Amino acid sequence: MTELDPNQSKIDGLLRRSMSSPVPDLPRDFDRQVLRRVRRRSTLLERHLRILLSGYGLLSVLVSAILMRSQGLDWITIAGMTLAPLVIIAVVRGAARASRPARANS
Amino acid sequence: MALAQLETDAELVARTQAGDEHSFAELVRRHQAMVFRLALSILGREFVPEAEDVTQDVFVKVYGALPSFRGESELRSWIYRITFNQALNLKERVRFRAPHADESVLQDVASHAPGPERQLANKQRDRALAECMQTLPEVYQSALRLYYWLDTSVSQIALLLEVPENTAKSYLHRARQLLEGMLKQRGYSCD
Repeated sequence: MTELDPNQSKIDGLLRRSMSSPVPDLPRDFDRQVLRRVRRRSTLLERHLRILLSGYGLLSVLVSAILMRSQGLDWITIAGMTLAPLVIIAVVRGAARASRPARANS
Repeated sequence: MALAQLETDAELVARTQAGDEHSFAELVRRHQAMVFRLALSILGREFVPEAEDVTQDVFVKVYGALPSFRGESELRSWIYRITFNQALNLKERVRFRAPHADESVLQDVASHAPGPERQLANKQRDRALAECMQTLPEVYQSALRLYYWLDTSVSQIALLLEVPENTAKSYLHRARQLLEGMLKQRGYSCD
């Protein structure tokens, strides 16, 4: 395979002899194994992200409520101000979902 | 599947980035053999299961990093670079751990010497050779294992190690030269 220096023919022969063991192969379903690991990893990451976001959301609601209460607002106003963004998100998501099949049909 | 064979790596990367897992599976099939080979060449014959783990880790890492892959370098080179670093890190970690089988034990299989004395001498020389190899720079060790054990052509060695073909040739030449010198120093001949 390479132009071998004649001085190196002995070491070349020795290396060939001493390294002539079978070449291992990867399992036939190696690509599927990788995909399984990739999926497992993304599910785990998604779960961690969801827990993290939920925790952050709850904490910020709690802090906001305490701050608003310390400013003298009543609980009904605080509940309204806290829930309003959630209602907006729900409405926007609902509208997006409703428009999706309509676009698919057109 | 047949279509995937015709697609370039860049097209498969774009599809994977858009969420198509089948395209990623095709990328794995395309590059898994060379990645495994490179990992084996760095870790050595006594760490075959570890080389398989490295190969899996590399593709999991590639999948995680693909969204930010802009294609500025070739995908293949990028994967090989990840493999080289991953295998080298693992090698550092397992350096002081007992291997599954000593490299010299595997070499006994290839020994066809006639008498027990000759066999013992060959075994000792092979052990010395394996020890000397461990002291060579990583790229030399890798080039030697790729060429002599994994039957890889010089052009493929150059691709895997990301060097020009002549450099790969010189790695092999220099590695042989160093090994011969070290064996002579220890009192072994190469005959």
